[in-house]
Amino acid sequence: MNLQARQISKSYGAQRVLDKLDLSIAEGEVVCLLGPNGAGKTTLIRTLSGLQKPDSGELYWAAQSESFDALPLRRSIGLILHQPFLYEHLTAFENLRFYSLLYETGLSETDLRKMLSRVGLGNARPIPVRGYSRGMKQRLTIARALLCDPQILLFDEPYTGLDQQGCGMLNQLVQEESALNKLVLMTTHELSFIRQIATRFDVLHRGKIAASFSNDGISLDALQEQYNAVVSAGKSPRKEQA
Amino acid sequence: MKAWLHSVRVLVWKDLLQEWRSRDILTSMLAFAVLSLFIFNYALELSPLNRAEIAPGIVWVVMVFAGTLGLNRSFTAEQDQGCFEGLIMAVPDLSAIYFAKLLTNLLMMVFLAVLVIPIYSVLYNQSLFNWAFFGVLALGAWGYSAAGTLIASMTVQTRMRDLLLPVLLFPLLLPVNMAVVKSCGVLLGSVAGQDINSWLNLLLVYDVIVTMLSIMVFEYVIKE
Repeated sequence: MNLQARQISKSYGAQRVLDKLDLSIAEGEVVCLLGPNGAGKTTLIRTLSGLQKPDSGELYWAAQSESFDALPLRRSIGLILHQPFLYEHLTAFENLRFYSLLYETGLSETDLRKMLSRVGLGNARPIPVRGYSRGMKQRLTIARALLCDPQILLFDEPYTGLDQQGCGMLNQLVQEESALNKLVLMTTHELSFIRQIATRFDVLHRGKIAASFSNDGISLDALQEQYNAVVSAGKSPRKEQA
Repeated sequence: MKAWLHSVRVLVWKDLLQEWRSRDILTSMLAFAVLSLFIFNYALELSPLNRAEIAPGIVWVVMVFAGTLGLNRSFTAEQDQGCFEGLIMAVPDLSAIYFAKLLTNLLMMVFLAVLVIPIYSVLYNQSLFNWAFFGVLALGAWGYSAAGTLIASMTVQTRMRDLLLPVLLFPLLLPVNMAVVKSCGVLLGSVAGQDINSWLNLLLVYDVIVTMLSIMVFEYVIKE
């Protein structure tokens, strides 16, 4: 099942952030969305998740036209944004149980504890989340996003706050989910980590996907060079897909 | 409907657990209510004759002002940690978020009334232990929470939420304030020649209409 966004435009006042943007993600793909600060990466993620209405454009999920905030689509998305969506006075387990009950996942206490272990919080003290470090909150956020067994993963800066081990854990989780034919769209500036798992890099610049290149074992330097070339010149040196 | 009720139940459980752990809302509401009752007690020279006349006004005003402190904080967790977005993604029908918050705020107000009535009775030497009196306060609390929860969901997204909430809410509460104070006055025998049923009808109609309207517009409010 593919996710396709066609001709999406979004403006904030006079500033056009997304300009008739086209994007397609196939199942099993891990697409990394690159772009300078303010390029519109978060806006695109929020729009695809249905949290924000575009000014124009269409969304297709499994070749069917869908409303951006349609319930089945909404509940098929595992979302990570800048804020963690966590309740500070609840413990990690209680936060997961709360979202699990809302999503009606039917997960047992054992399943939820396994989920905590998956993100490295299996041995964390059962204290309210407000006592957690930024990295621990981010790990819990990742668990929360994967809780509903989503078909589409939209992760905005998911490496934020994670240590080396945490970044490795996230990469492993994304690869496991991708192996289950899920669609992954991630934004990040951590090229060294995302390079290990991304199947494609899309560069968002001036409201459009300015360049798109597949990850055929590209080196970090080459990736950085290509990205800089696109952003500074506004065009791709090796454009495969408009 | 079953999924909607399930969402409401889960959301109320979460709100009550959060409040039990933090005691943010109840502590500030109770402290304000007790202090206000003390201040009114010293500021007003009340004879045994005029106590019954003024009791409904004092009790309801204290509850409304203390309740505003709670309303102001009722959406703070959702706003500060981005949980609104988490809820939007997870809840099948977004009106469940509104109704759950309404129930939580109503429970806080009822709990406040349970504490304010005995404190008032002791401080002012006048018994308010009357189920009908409590029932009218609970109906008033429903209307207050129904309108207040909707307005709080709008103002929480603004920087001036502490100021905006009472400015927008209090004019909307005029029918509730009148109906509660007059009904309680009739029950305490301080308002003569008035039919309590007309005031109770006004209160009930207000509660139902505001709750229904709020359920209808809530989705638009939080998405915009």
